[in-house]
Amino acid sequence: MIGDDSKSQQQRPHARQGGASDRVLSFLKAHKALLIFAVFLGVMPVWAEPIASTIHLDIVLVMRLVGVFTIAAVGLNLLIGYAGQVSLGHSAFFGVGAYTSALIAVKAGFPVWIGIIMAILASALIGLLVAPVLRLKGHYLAMATLGLGIIAFVFMREMTWLTGGNLGVTSIPELSLPGVPKNDISEFYIVWIIALIILAFCSNLVRSRTGRAIRAIHQSDVAAAAMGINVSWEKIKIFMLSAALGGLAGGLYAHLQGYIDPNLFYITLSIQLVAMVVVGGMESIWGAVAGAGLLIFLPKIVETLPRWIGPGVPKPIADYSNYEGIVFGLILVLAMIFMPSGITRGLSDLVRYRRSPFINPFKKQAVE
Amino acid sequence: MVINGSGNGMLLKARGLTKVFGGLAALKDVSFDIREGMIKAIIGPNGAGKTTLYDLLTGIYMPDDGRVLFHDREIIGLTTHEIAALGIARTFQTIRLFTGMTVIENIMVGLHHRTKAGMLKSSLRFPAARREEAWMAGEAMRYLDVVGLEMQAENLAGSLPFGQQRLLEVARALATDPKILLLDEPASGLNTYETRELGEIIYAIRDMGITVVLVEHDMGLVMRISDEVLVLDYGEIIAEGSPESVRNDPKVIEAYLGSQLD
Repeated sequence: MIGDDSKSQQQRPHARQGGASDRVLSFLKAHKALLIFAVFLGVMPVWAEPIASTIHLDIVLVMRLVGVFTIAAVGLNLLIGYAGQVSLGHSAFFGVGAYTSALIAVKAGFPVWIGIIMAILASALIGLLVAPVLRLKGHYLAMATLGLGIIAFVFMREMTWLTGGNLGVTSIPELSLPGVPKNDISEFYIVWIIALIILAFCSNLVRSRTGRAIRAIHQSDVAAAAMGINVSWEKIKIFMLSAALGGLAGGLYAHLQGYIDPNLFYITLSIQLVAMVVVGGMESIWGAVAGAGLLIFLPKIVETLPRWIGPGVPKPIADYSNYEGIVFGLILVLAMIFMPSGITRGLSDLVRYRRSPFINPFKKQAVE
Repeated sequence: MVINGSGNGMLLKARGLTKVFGGLAALKDVSFDIREGMIKAIIGPNGAGKTTLYDLLTGIYMPDDGRVLFHDREIIGLTTHEIAALGIARTFQTIRLFTGMTVIENIMVGLHHRTKAGMLKSSLRFPAARREEAWMAGEAMRYLDVVGLEMQAENLAGSLPFGQQRLLEVARALATDPKILLLDEPASGLNTYETRELGEIIYAIRDMGITVVLVEHDMGLVMRISDEVLVLDYGEIIAEGSPESVRNDPKVIEAYLGSQLD
C-alpha cells in the first residue's frame, strides 16, 4: 500500500490532461492507497463493534481519536518533515482550535460546524501572528515554539472569564450532521471523512509547486532563494496551514471529548504530536496515519491487557493506570534506535529495495 | 534578446563594491561592467573574493559600500529571490542541489518563479494548476536536455555522480530563465573530458542569449572560452581585459607566482 503510494508519486510530474472520466481515473490512480484505506475504514465498524467487548477495547471509539490526531500530525509533518521547521508548540494551535470551537458552540450557541471553521481560522491567524519566530533556525526555532506552547497554555488556564480556567469547558455538543443519528459510529465516519480529505489535500500539496518549494527550503534555503523562491513567505504559508490543521484537529477533539481543560494542551501534547511525526515517518503523508495510530492505540491496548487476563492479575498492576506514559516513552526510544527513519519509510524501503526496515545500532559502521 | 534601456549594451555595472568581514576586506572598491552576450571569467587565487562577489550580486550579503546596476536598475538591497526573479541566476561552488528530490523536481524548483499556482489551487488540483504542472514537466525536460541529463529525470539528485550534479545545478539555474548566469567553479572536480563538455554547454548557453560569468580555476577552460577576463587578488581588481592581455600582465603573473598560466 505504501509502496504503491511512492511509485505513483514518481509518475506524478507527467500530469494527465483530458476529459472528466480521464481526470477521475488519474485521481483514482494517484490516490490508490488512500482509496484502499478509505474502504478499510468504511467497513471497520462492521467487524470492530462485535469484538469490542471481547477485547475490552472499543476500536471505533479509539479510531475517532486516531483520525483527529492524524489531521494534526499530517499538518505538523508538512512543517517538520517537509519544510524542515521544527515546532514544539503545536499544542498551542490544537488548544486554540479546541477552545475556539468549544466556546463558540457552548457560550455563543452557534452550530458545531461554524465553531470548527472558526477554529481553523483562529489557529491560522495565531500562526500568522507568531510567524516572526520562523526567522529562527533549528534548535532556536524549536525552543521558541516550545515557549509559544507554554504561553498559550498559560493563557488558557488564566483567562478564566473566557476559558473557565482549570475547570475547563464542559458539555460541548458532539459532532453531528443533519439527518445523521448521533452516535460514536457517525462521529467516526465524520472525523475520518475529514481526515481523508486532508490526507488527499496534503499528498497533492507536497507534490505540487508549493510542496517542491518547501522541500527545497528544507534542503538548502540559500539555493531555494537563488531559484527565486520567497523563502520567508513560503515558510509563513506552510506554518499557517500547519497551524490551521492543528486547529481543525483541536476543534474536532473538543466535540468528540465533550470536555476540555488547559492541561490537555500542555507541552506533553506538543511532544506527542512531534513523536507521531517522527515515529510515523518524516516527509511522509502516511507517516502521520501510522504515527497517530501507533501512539494512540498501543497505550490503550496495554491498558486493557490486565482485563484480558481477568481476576488473576496482581492488584498493583491492575490498579496502575499510567501505562500510557510508559508505552509512549518505550515506543519513542525503540523507534529512534531501531527505525530512525520512521514506520512508513522503513516499510517503503522494505518493499522497494528489499531492505530490512530495522537497523542494528550495534553494528560497526564503515568509517567514511 | 531585449535590451531594456541599456543602450551601450552593458547588462550589469558594479561600482565601488566593498565588503568587510570582521576587519578583513574581502572586496575593496571593485568596479566592472558586464556586456550583454559575452562570456566573462573572474579568476584569482583562493580567497581573492570571487565567491563573495557572487554573494553580493545575488543579495546573499549586503555590501558595505558600492552599487550594482542590472539593466540600469539598482539591485543592492533587493532580496535574493527578487534578484533571481529579475534574471540573475547562479550556481554554487559547493554543490547545493536539493539532494532528496528527483532530478526533474530540482529543475521544477528552478521554474518556481515563472509559475504561479498557489497552495490551494494546486492542492485541490484545479485544471489551471494541472496544466501548469504539465507545462513545468515538459519545460524541465527541455532544460535537462541542454545538459544531457534527460535519462536521469526520475533519479534522486543526490544519487548522481559528481560531474552530473554540477551540470544539474547549471540546468536548474537556467530554468529560472536568467539574463545572466553566474557559474561558481563549474569545472572543479570534473575530469578533462567533462570539462571540455562543460565548455560546449557554456557556449550553448551563450547562444541561448544568456550572458555567462565564470569564476574558475581551470585556466585552460578560462583562456579558451572567455571573451574577457577579470583578475581579483586580495579583494582588488589587478587586471581586466582579453585572455591574451591578462595572461601577459606582469601583475597577474606575480599574483599567480608559482602556478602556471598556460
